[in-house]
Amino acid sequence: MSAGLALASVEPAFAHAGDAGFVLLLPTGYYLVGGALAVALSFAILAVVPPGPLARLAEWRRVLFAAPWEWRLVLSWLSFAGFAALLLAGWWGSRDPLSNPLPLVFWTILWGALTIVEGLVGDFWFWINPWYGPYRLLAALRGRSGAEDGERALPGGLAYWPAAVLFLGFAWFELVYPAPEDPARLATVLLVYYLANLAAALVFGYSAWVRQGECLSAFFRMISRLALFSGRRDEKAHKRTIDLALPGARLISADALPASGILFLLLALSSVSFDGLSRTFTWLGFVGINPLDFPGRSAVVGVNTAGLVGMAVALCGAFLLAVWLGHLLCGSAVSFRRTAGALAWSIIPISLAYHIAHNLTEILVNAQYALAAISDPFALGWDLFGTAGMHVHAGITAGYDSAWAIWNSQAAVIIAGHVLAVLVAHAIAWRLHGSARKAVLSQIPLALLMVFYTVFGLWLLASPTGA
Amino acid sequence: MTDKRKSSLILTTPLTRRTALKGLAGGLGAAAALGTAPGFVRYAQAASSEPIKIGFECHRTGIGAAYGRWYERTTNAAVKLINDAGGINGRPIQLIIEDDGTDAKRGTEVMEKFASEHKVDVVFGTLFSNVVIANGPTAGELKMPYYVVSEGHQVASGKMNRYVFQPGITDVKSQVMSVAPFIVGNLGKKVTQIFPDYAFGYDHRDNLPPAIEKAGGKVMAQIAIPPTEKSFTRYFPQIPADTDVIYHVMVGPAVLTFVKEMGEFYGSKGPQLFSFIDSLEAVDMATPGLEFLNGSHFWEGSPRYLQANAGEAQKFYRDHVGIDDNGAAKGDPKDVSTAGHMFGCWETLYVIKKAMEDAGYQGPDDKKKLIEATEAMTAFAEGKEHPQGDKTFNGKIHQCFGHQNISKFEDKKLTVVHRTSIEDGMYEPEGDYTTEKL
Repeated sequence: MSAGLALASVEPAFAHAGDAGFVLLLPTGYYLVGGALAVALSFAILAVVPPGPLARLAEWRRVLFAAPWEWRLVLSWLSFAGFAALLLAGWWGSRDPLSNPLPLVFWTILWGALTIVEGLVGDFWFWINPWYGPYRLLAALRGRSGAEDGERALPGGLAYWPAAVLFLGFAWFELVYPAPEDPARLATVLLVYYLANLAAALVFGYSAWVRQGECLSAFFRMISRLALFSGRRDEKAHKRTIDLALPGARLISADALPASGILFLLLALSSVSFDGLSRTFTWLGFVGINPLDFPGRSAVVGVNTAGLVGMAVALCGAFLLAVWLGHLLCGSAVSFRRTAGALAWSIIPISLAYHIAHNLTEILVNAQYALAAISDPFALGWDLFGTAGMHVHAGITAGYDSAWAIWNSQAAVIIAGHVLAVLVAHAIAWRLHGSARKAVLSQIPLALLMVFYTVFGLWLLASPTGA
Repeated sequence: MTDKRKSSLILTTPLTRRTALKGLAGGLGAAAALGTAPGFVRYAQAASSEPIKIGFECHRTGIGAAYGRWYERTTNAAVKLINDAGGINGRPIQLIIEDDGTDAKRGTEVMEKFASEHKVDVVFGTLFSNVVIANGPTAGELKMPYYVVSEGHQVASGKMNRYVFQPGITDVKSQVMSVAPFIVGNLGKKVTQIFPDYAFGYDHRDNLPPAIEKAGGKVMAQIAIPPTEKSFTRYFPQIPADTDVIYHVMVGPAVLTFVKEMGEFYGSKGPQLFSFIDSLEAVDMATPGLEFLNGSHFWEGSPRYLQANAGEAQKFYRDHVGIDDNGAAKGDPKDVSTAGHMFGCWETLYVIKKAMEDAGYQGPDDKKKLIEATEAMTAFAEGKEHPQGDKTFNGKIHQCFGHQNISKFEDKKLTVVHRTSIEDGMYEPEGDYTTEKL
């Protein structure tokens, strides 16, 4: 031990001066002020514009086409086969997390990119959910009709609690656990997760479990309410009708969430916020870690677990306080529970904005690694898709010009997400209270919180990072 | 032969990320399956065609990932060349890569996994000192030959153990000492140091002043900057007015801010500047804001930019690693390499090869012979195996000594203006590992 301490005094370090350094040269302070003004101004404009036309816009739909239900079964089995192959690759492919397809596909393509597609385009996960096919088979073997069984909820007081608990575990694994990208460990974790959730779906019913139990399905389903395209059941035609709606429109008409649902949504936002915060000099300095000499995740498991939970508690507290103050201000007859449950949906655009901003650079580089890795999943020299030998252009996110472009994209996304959130929250409030005046009054504290969160989001991205 | 893909056996396609990385998976089956490929004909004549397993502990994720990417590319290039030329003792190298997340605790787990699960012959490649420091004792306990590419002083300090070597890159103490004569002789006698206030900075704080004084100069002031600092202007008034040279070794994301603010403080007529490329490794020197560094000097282990007088070995090395004349990835000019350090992977692999050949290494039973053969080495000649330059090796402290490059930053490029002698960086050995029992 003493030898180790003595040696610690002769330590070269290689904290990278690159990409994060360029951001420090940009006039990010103006963006923070500009972002805050943009969000505040959006709220001010909404306060004087009659909400009627906005609500009508939100109700606008256009039927596009109808997709047969059978597609879902086929796609799910294909997805399941891909998942199984990825697990095998996780155990028996390359040990390098940037050559093995499992961590790349799971973290970069599924969690990183699909979340964005779900939020912007629509609920692809509904079609490719790898639990559906095997569930149908097992349910049929048990003599149950496994057909899509409608909008079910979990029994008793369970509601979204399973999803919230699982999501906290998922976020911890992603952000705090020392080796989430280790292919073999990830494969084992995912297998256990898959089987446990398959069993739970058999107990509680598929529809209820993917809606409120399995956290990825639940999250994708919720965030896809923001998207352009949505699906709805057509019982007679045995099809799913795909509609076009304005972004965020379907958040306004969503049913109020129970307490567990609010927590679940806020957990998603707080975890990505903490992902950003935990890398900043500010946080590292706060927990006594030298940001230039980051010792590795193993050394910060305790403080980052506390930080992850603390961030969730703080965000829940801030959100509920803002809603409660608004509730007092407007003196509405609508219950606080229902108000909070309805307004929670307005968090989704912010959640997606944070997700995009924080994952953008990783997706740009690691998607290339993923493309190469899937051509040779078991490191056997295959070239299934002709991409195995491709050179990964890591320079795509490097240098001053890229830093400028990335920062501007991130800032635009963060600000747009918050402006949309203010808009959605306002329309929800109008629906709840039935009066433009009450809607505005009730939204003042929440709008202030959103202005703050805009600045916080931009500050996270503009701050020097060291982990 | 770490890859079954044809490109690793026949030189037809350019080296890629995966070429040299893949595990054999099927072991001998691979060789049998591809027995007709030209690369295997040679292996077939060896006593055993079982691969030599090299565990590559790579900073694939975490704070060291930018370095890890280039360490991986350089390592792949060298392994491929060695295998294409017949491997080691007629046996191909199988490179097994494990990510340590640039995390000391995971590093020791990886070391144990290499020993128990992958059963590698040697472990290689670790860069970050905190990981090396954690791994050293584990390597000793497991009796695992461990070749680090860290440039840290921890191996040469005598505080590791008999199984830990650093034969492919010089240590920071030697680097700091060897630049002092140039600074005093060419830039000025009165030196002020600015460094981050932790271990990395202390290497420079402690090792520079004696060397400057020996060269006839004096360190006027030492300014330690807290690591979490984001703005530096308030420190500049501490620089003595009669300073000739500012020796600055800031690292981390705030380096560019540091340079910009120093430029604003001094305008066009400040003292001479000297730094280590560690500050700007993998950063494009044509970046706006770095103009202030025009005319300043940097230490480089190996030159990032192709020099006009570069020899065949240097060109050969750069070509095979895949970097262009500016030291960036071929075809991806913004992906600037960690050229100042990554040559260490290449050279270390060739040292392992030579040591295994000297020891007649056949398998893990010969590990002691391998240690002794490595310790018995005394010098490496400049050439394709050692493109950075010739080196001496001190078997007692398991550390090599070599030439350092001092480059001037002009026209958005670094041009080597001085090459130190090996003697400039020599110091009295601080230990003797050969007295430890194997």
